[in-house]
Amino acid sequence: MSADIDTLSDFSSGNDGARRFARWLAGFALHGGSILAFAALLIFFSITAPFFFTLGNIGNVLGQSAILGVLAIGLTIVIIGGGANVVKGGIDLSLAANLGLSAAVYATLVSTGHGDGVAIAGALLTGGLIGLVNAIAIVIFGIVPLLATLAVMNVVAGLELVLTQNTVVSAASDFLSVLSNYGPFDIPVLAYVLIIFTIIAAGIVQYTPLGLRLYAVGAFPEAARAAGLPVKRIVASSYIASGLCGGLSGILSVSYLSGSTTGAGEMLLPVVVTALLSVVFSRRLVPTIGGTLLSTLLVGFLTNGFQLLNISSTLVSGIQGILILLVVAATSLQRGKGVA
Amino acid sequence: MSEIKDSALAIGRRNLLKAGLAAGATLAVANAGLLGTSSGAAAAEEEIPSLKGKRIAISATGTDHHFDLTAYNAQIDEVKKLGGEPIAVDAQRNDTKLVSQLQTLIAQRPDALVQLLGTLTVVDPWLKRAKDAKIPVFTIDVGTPNSLNNTTSDNWRIGSDLALQLVSDIGGAGNIVVFNGFYGVVPCAIRYDQLKAVIKYYPDVKIIEPELRDVIPNTVQDAFSQITAILNKYPEKGSIKAIWSAWDIPQLGATQALVAAGRTEISTYGVDGSPEVLQLVRDPNSPAAGNAAQQPEEIGRTAIRNVARYLAGQKLPRETYVPALIANKKNIEEVTKTLRLG
Repeated sequence: MSADIDTLSDFSSGNDGARRFARWLAGFALHGGSILAFAALLIFFSITAPFFFTLGNIGNVLGQSAILGVLAIGLTIVIIGGGANVVKGGIDLSLAANLGLSAAVYATLVSTGHGDGVAIAGALLTGGLIGLVNAIAIVIFGIVPLLATLAVMNVVAGLELVLTQNTVVSAASDFLSVLSNYGPFDIPVLAYVLIIFTIIAAGIVQYTPLGLRLYAVGAFPEAARAAGLPVKRIVASSYIASGLCGGLSGILSVSYLSGSTTGAGEMLLPVVVTALLSVVFSRRLVPTIGGTLLSTLLVGFLTNGFQLLNISSTLVSGIQGILILLVVAATSLQRGKGVA
Repeated sequence: MSEIKDSALAIGRRNLLKAGLAAGATLAVANAGLLGTSSGAAAAEEEIPSLKGKRIAISATGTDHHFDLTAYNAQIDEVKKLGGEPIAVDAQRNDTKLVSQLQTLIAQRPDALVQLLGTLTVVDPWLKRAKDAKIPVFTIDVGTPNSLNNTTSDNWRIGSDLALQLVSDIGGAGNIVVFNGFYGVVPCAIRYDQLKAVIKYYPDVKIIEPELRDVIPNTVQDAFSQITAILNKYPEKGSIKAIWSAWDIPQLGATQALVAAGRTEISTYGVDGSPEVLQLVRDPNSPAAGNAAQQPEEIGRTAIRNVARYLAGQKLPRETYVPALIANKKNIEEVTKTLRLG
């Protein structure tokens, strides 16, 4: 419950030396430890798993992570802008359903004879509209994001059922086959898409005044309002950006699966987990775009390495669960809560 | 072997049914042809080539249904038994995961790849990529030109056997309710077409229009409410004789609805041999009257044996049919024994 990470924590209470040390240790262990663990994991797989450390395999993992990565980056933007409190902060539960509906719109448009241009516009418009509805519900009606996006998620999932009759809509087009193919150096095109998208998103969120305002609004909404920042507009934009990420991931998913398929909703928990894990990859333990990419790739490499080592992939979700427990425990410790 | 014995029984029943029908000759011819195709499984006693030193990739769409799980485990066991190394991955019915796993499997360059089930349009591009990468591709229940051999149940025979059981049970006359929601899925379409082919020669058997549409998910609850509604529409006993569905999860819901409404004079029929439905068939008071039970263990084993045969240079047929067993109130004990469910 107390997974909100704010930079204030260093100043709040706790003169007790032992407690301060525990917090310092937790922060250090969490950030340094997770980077080290990631590196150790890559080295371990490189030594033990055949094919692991090859350009082709790393490219495959990047490509396989593209859909999850784009969605998780969308969620990260919302978490940055809404604050990281899991209950009251920014969250977009409609993202996975958004992926499903956007993919269904794209596949339906292509399979009914429309061009890729129309289909791309249709998918992005669908995603953007879902983001807009979220934004209106949260900013204008003041509904808690957790509930607002939960309701929107159900509406969107219902619309997908109406559109596809819960069936697979196959789609084939020139653009889709380019996306699902291999690019330079025999690396999947989706891998390039993920890298370029991450660079653009990170550029905007981490290095522009707009990004700084987003962090300000999320971490200190009162201060941001006092400083004259358009808090509501910035929060609304974060949901629209997240919706557009849903639309984009829908397009990627259609290319990857040669159509739209049912069961997109299952992506929700992995997306939330990935975005939450991203904090351990930033020095100040805040969500960042780069951190989200690393956390997406961590899961991707784990799954891939396990398959190459012929270990059951069901273990991956168990390891993910342990990681989250560690993250939440360590961030609680770092904030000085959760220790008696 | 018991499946052969069973098919002999089935023919006996068929001939009885056909006795009064001039048109029966057509079916008899078809039947003879089908018997020919099922001989592959009967030849299980032959020497199977070793898979020593071979890495066999097994990709399953999911293992949450009895059929998948049994076929998946049977494949892994058979690869080990023949001395090979299985690389088995289960996508847990998640298509994105399925494609990622196939992509990584292709990069692993196994000696052969076996795909168990899957939506054709999703898996086929990746099976083609595996084929292009010179990996021999095999399938279970996936008909695609990119696979060297597809092991599957004989759905024509399943369809006609089940239809004949139904027609025989209702005495060749009466209204039947049909779930036909998945005509787009090839095995379901074949089974439905076989039902129509059989009742064509029984003019007193009528399918109630409109046909019902079974759905996924919530199949059981949905079938329950649809059947409850149609029972209200046909309240008189005898106005409906039987309920047919192309798989057995709607049969489960339909059977429960009949029990709840006290209309156990109506019989239900379905396909797949799900253990919970076979349990109902065993219960003498349950309306579940017939179920075409596939043999997932035999199917998984056969697919791997085909891989071994191919890698040893033997020629394979395009499709290998594994016979299904029609379970009814009389032979249920024997069928469950054969399926090792008992």
